[in-house]
Parts: sequence; structure tokens; C-alpha cells
Amino acid sequence: MLAMFASLALAQDGATRADWPYHGGSQLAWRYSSLDQLNRGNVSKLTLAWAFQTGDYEMGLQSTPIVTGGRLYLSTSRSQVYSLDAATGKVFWQYKYPLPRANVPYGPQNRGIAVGGGYVLLATYDDYLIAIDQNTGQEVWKTNLDDIRQCGCTVTGAPLVVKDKVIVGGAGGDSAHRGYLTAVYLKTGRVAWRFYTIPGPGEKGHETWKGESWKFGGGATWLTGSFDPELNMVYWGVGNAAADLDAGPRYSGEGEGANLYTASVIALDADTGKLKWYHQEVPKDVWDFDSAYECVLIDREMRGQMRKLLVHINKGGYAFVLDRVTGEYVNGFPIVDNHTWTTGLTEDGKFVGRVEPVQGKATLICPSALGGKSWNEMAFSPRTGFLYTPSSELCSQETVVPQEAHEGRNFTSGSWPFVAPPNGPAHGHLDAYDPVSGKRQWSYPSKYLLLASILATGGDLIFTGDPEGFFFALDARTGEKLWSFQTGSGHRGSAVTYMINGRQYVATPSGWGSLASSAFPDLFPETDTFRGGSTLMVFALPEGTR
Amino acid sequence: MRFAALLCLVPAIVCAQDMIARGGEIFAKTCATGYCHAPKGGPGSTAPRLAGRGFAEEYISQTIRRGILGTSMPGFATVLNRGELFAVTAYVASLNGITVRDPAPEGETEKKLPADAERGRKLFFDSVRGFGRCATCHQVDGIGISVATPIAKIPADASALRQLAVSDVKTASADGDSFPALVVSQGKIQTKVYDLTSPPPVLRTFASASVSLKDGSGWRHTNVLGAYNDADLGAILAYLREVVKP
Repeated sequence: MLAMFASLALAQDGATRADWPYHGGSQLAWRYSSLDQLNRGNVSKLTLAWAFQTGDYEMGLQSTPIVTGGRLYLSTSRSQVYSLDAATGKVFWQYKYPLPRANVPYGPQNRGIAVGGGYVLLATYDDYLIAIDQNTGQEVWKTNLDDIRQCGCTVTGAPLVVKDKVIVGGAGGDSAHRGYLTAVYLKTGRVAWRFYTIPGPGEKGHETWKGESWKFGGGATWLTGSFDPELNMVYWGVGNAAADLDAGPRYSGEGEGANLYTASVIALDADTGKLKWYHQEVPKDVWDFDSAYECVLIDREMRGQMRKLLVHINKGGYAFVLDRVTGEYVNGFPIVDNHTWTTGLTEDGKFVGRVEPVQGKATLICPSALGGKSWNEMAFSPRTGFLYTPSSELCSQETVVPQEAHEGRNFTSGSWPFVAPPNGPAHGHLDAYDPVSGKRQWSYPSKYLLLASILATGGDLIFTGDPEGFFFALDARTGEKLWSFQTGSGHRGSAVTYMINGRQYVATPSGWGSLASSAFPDLFPETDTFRGGSTLMVFALPEGTR
Repeated sequence: MRFAALLCLVPAIVCAQDMIARGGEIFAKTCATGYCHAPKGGPGSTAPRLAGRGFAEEYISQTIRRGILGTSMPGFATVLNRGELFAVTAYVASLNGITVRDPAPEGETEKKLPADAERGRKLFFDSVRGFGRCATCHQVDGIGISVATPIAKIPADASALRQLAVSDVKTASADGDSFPALVVSQGKIQTKVYDLTSPPPVLRTFASASVSLKDGSGWRHTNVLGAYNDADLGAILAYLREVVKP
């Protein structure tokens, strides 16, 4: 008993309480709230409290709202930001970002803002990072990170506030572009450090690149990382190498790893941006199998010893468990039923039996280039000890068509149209896993791929939404559906929960759109009629209900 | 196919089949990639299907050249040459059951920069230099961030470029901090300046009462040119002489 208390005391707490202060809930990215007013017993009474229509229907509503101090902050795909009363939806201010007259690589998308230092931090799709006064909505500073007209890059992910800085990644790893993470001082907007995900001449890891290929080798950081305050380490996922399907022109065969630090999870010193460790999940990636997704930081006892772990899912449809102090591989397991690109992982985390796309004919690769899981984020509940993640059973017909690198231009060197798996239609599922053993605890099947993030709560509820527009709650212990509500448009964003004046709210973006959803009508013809949208729907128990 | 090939021997008839085949090759390399269109404009990708859509020739041609603003469809007018643009148009038109005619013989030639100026162009926009490249603060030919006023006068040589007068950079004091500042606007309520402490410049907005501006500063152009040597700067000047209209 004593030992158990000791281990609990050591474990870091990634739960949120009244607020939802960070993109992943906390800096540990659990997407878990300890709020339990809403629970398995009363969730069936959940009702709509208020709704907010952003008016920006472009590419759906892919955002995670941030809630702090009674206010809810929300961004849209075209970089518009709103400050709302979190209890009523009343608008305090709107930040109208002037839309640039530019072509937008991958289309305008925004997955959230950050709040810190009195500012709302917005990364725009044309590569600016902007601090907006949290109270007034006035712009305070604006820093350009890159030139959208040159780099073929855009920012889609939410920034992460870490101490006195805000860290932001970028998308563009399927263009001829060299990825980076940039840290900016909250107070002034000045750049504190930039870490290039592809080492330059003279830096360790540079030797893994052939010739000049490092200059445009991809390695985008297009989502949001995590932070461990005790270790002072920032963790971030790095995307695929470019050209995606054609490793020949970029793979040197020298050094440890291939095309570092693409398809890797990296740990950086939060103050200096210096690399502490890396773990390359897919060496010599030729499938667009990014490692760009979220890093969930959990502490677990293993063989009598408390371990600081990092759980991460690769687009190739495998989850990785790493020691977040050292980067050491602890375990890996598949999260999709259809995985044909490899025969599996060795005990030390190396993929064997690779099936690679070739020139001249299409090769069936499962999962697809959209990923065995899309970017929508998983959740972890310390109460059940389970990890909750959506998965996509979808394949690609991949063909290599070599391209030359032209800065900022499309650089995938091939095509990957999406097709159903060999043994049935494309579909999705949401599963609960023991994050260390990888044992699947339950599975919720879905006719369509599930493209919204997962929210876990202290009431043992799991919330997410589906492409048909249903927002629903499952029992965190069994996967049984307990409640559902038709919001009027499909789900591609991330729900959050918070408490105002003793009342627990659950807020979800509703609004179909995004790259992945644009592939739907060819896979599921009836979805051609699915309407776009951009609404925040906020639910609570009727007043006075317990 | 043999019939088409025979037709192509008759000079008066446009060799439509050859043109479509050429367009198909360009399409496969340029358009049917990754997150864009599927091979042969078919279904299954993230960008729309193009085959059998009932597109008009004019729409196909304009979209390929100009792209669609605000979306991920780029314009290829400056990426592909005239013949290639026509071939891709012919190919996509063929996917929609349209046969297009070659509008006019190829007459235009692309303007090429002299070798030194071309080297200068690459250096000016060189992304390997990160925030140390000229384009961090200067826009030329529609690319780059226009922090500085548009380049009008071109210094005679590298030395003059380094010593460029910076009289419009002032010293701002705010929040107990002072820094070199390029003033953007100064009103009764708000003052906007570029903070030039280190590249990239930061556009900062202050309440006018909370910031004071003094003439002169310690900022020097030479300090931000560290990534370039004199030969590099000479090439950059050669580039600017080619593209900056007085």
C-alpha cells in the first residue's frame, strides 16, 4: 500500500480540472479531464446548452477550443479567432485575420490556438505566429516564420506554450521543404530558437542524407507536441521524408538511422532547443508514414519500477511506447487490422518484411497514406489506465513516379489513391488499449473512418463524433454507447470539457471538411451529400440535474 | 494508335494524340501525386476527380494556369512552359471528352537571368540560411516579406550594401526594454513598429503612451548580412539590377 502511494505521488498528473488550458488538455496531452459531475449514470440527460456558428465553413472545424478563466477561445480553418463566454457563448471579441491572397499548400486548415502569458497565440495558414491580447482581442505582436509563396509550407497545428516561450511547428513535408520547430518568446515575439528536423552540414545525422537532398527533405512538424516540466523536455513528432515514396535520391545508407530525424519522435531541451534524444519509428520511410502525431506522456509501473513513458502512434498503424527520459524503445503494437507494409515489429522495435511501392505498377499498401490513425488525437484515462484511439481501415494503391525537387512544390514522387481493404469496405473503429501491453480492451466499430479526437473524463466517459454528425458518449470501461446527439454536420475537431459555476460543460466542434474528408465520396458515395459546417456545440446537464 | 500516328505526319492537322500523351506524362509527374489528384484524374484521392466532370476547355485552361486562390490548387503558369501547359490542358480536356486545338505556335521564350544574377537570386531567397536570407525582410518579384520599403536604389557594391544608411531605424523603449525599431505607423492610440533586435523582425503594437521613440540606433545593415560573403553580395546586387525597375 505504501509503495502504491509512493508511485502515485511520483506520477505526473496530466488531467485537466475546471479549465482546458492546453491543446491536449494538459502539457502531457492526455485529453482527459478529472471532472465527474457528468458520468455514466446521468449522461443520457445531456442536453444542448448553447451553440456558436463561426461562419467559416472552409475545410471544416478542426480546432480544439481552449478554456480558461471562464472564457472559451476558438480558432477556425481560415485563422479567425473568437473569445466567448464559456457558459453562454456570448462573444467578447473576434480577431479577424486578413486572408492572404495566396495559394495555400494542402488548403487552409487550423487545429487550434494556445493561451499563455496573457495572450492567445495563433499560427496562421500563411506562416505567421501572432499574439493577441487575451482580454481585448488586439494584436500585440506578429512574427513571420516562413514565406508561403516560396516554402510550400503552412501552419496547421496548435502552438504549445512552454514556460516563457511558445513553440510552433509547420506543415509542408510533402513539398520540397525542410521542416523545423520554432520557439518564440511570449513577451516579445522574438525567435528564441529554431530546430531543423533535418541536420545541416556538420551536424550529426546529416550523413544520413544523400547529396543535397537534405535541403528539401520534408520532416514537417505539423501537429502539437508535449512538455514534461520535471525533465524540461519538449517532445514532438516529425513527419515523413520527402520525396515521400522515393527514397533512392535521399537515402545515403550511412550513419545510424535513415533520413534523420524524419518519421521520428524527438525530445528537445525546452530552453535551448538542443536535441536530447530521438527515436526513428520508420527508418527509410517510403509510404508517407509520418510520426507527426501527438505524444502522450504517462507514468506507469513496469516490473516494480516507475517508468516515465511516451505513447505515440505512427501513420503506419503502430503504437510505440518509449522511455521519455532516454528515448529507449519499450513496446510497440498494431492499432489497425489491415497492415500489409510490414510483417511486424521485432522485440527491439524494428520493422521487418517491408513491402515497398515501385515504379510502373500500383502496390496495395495498408494502412493508407492517410494513416492507420489520422491526426485526430487519442486520450488516456488514469482511472481505467486505458488509451483510447480511433483507427482507419483503409488502403492505398501506391505507385512511385520520381519527381525532381523544386522548392515549395509538391514533392511526393508518386500517387496513392485510396481504396478499401482487400477483405471488405473501408471503415473505422475506436479502441481502448492497455498502453503498455497493447492489449485491446474493447472496440467500437464505425461504418466510416472516425476523424474526430477523443475526450476522456473522470466520469468514465469517452466522447467523440463521427462523419455523419453524431456526437456520442461511450462507457470508458466497456465501449457501450450511452448517449448520442445529431449535431448537423460531421466531426473533424476535438471536444473538450470544463466547469463554470459548478456546472460541467462538454464542447465539441461540428463541421465536416479537411483533406481526409475530401476523399470520402469516392470511398463512400452516399457521403457526397455530407454538408460542411463550422459550429461549436456545447452540452450540459439541465440546470439542477445531478 | 497507328491511325493517330499517321495523322500526325500531316502537318496541317494538330497531332492531338501526341499532345494528349505528352500531357498525360506531365500530369502523372506533376498533378497525380500524393495529396493531389489520382492517376488519370480518377477517383480516390484528396483532390477532386477530373475525369468525366463536364469541364469546359476554358475552365480547364484557366485553372491549370492560375490555380484557385485560397485553396491548395496552385497555378502552373510560371511552373510549366507554354507547350507543357497546353499539353496538360489537352490531356485533362480529353478526360472530359473534349478535343482542344493548339491555339498558336510557340513563340514566347522564357527570360533567363545572366549566370551571376541567377546565383544572386538563389542567394537572396536561400532557405538554407533560414532567417539570415535577404527575403526575411525584403520582397522582390513578389516573393519575400516586405518589412523594409521596396528596394529602389541599388548600392554600387558589397561595401556600399553593408554600409547602407539606416537613418529610419529608431530606438524604441517600452516595458523596460529598448530595441532598434522600424516605425510602421504612429497614431494617438497605437504605435506599430518592427522590432529589429534579431531576425526575423517582429511587428509589435504598443499603446502610443507606453512606447517612446528616439532617432538613431545601434542597428546596422551589415549585422544581418553575416550569412553572405562579398562575392555573394556582388551576385545579389547583380540580381537586383536585373529585376528592380528604377
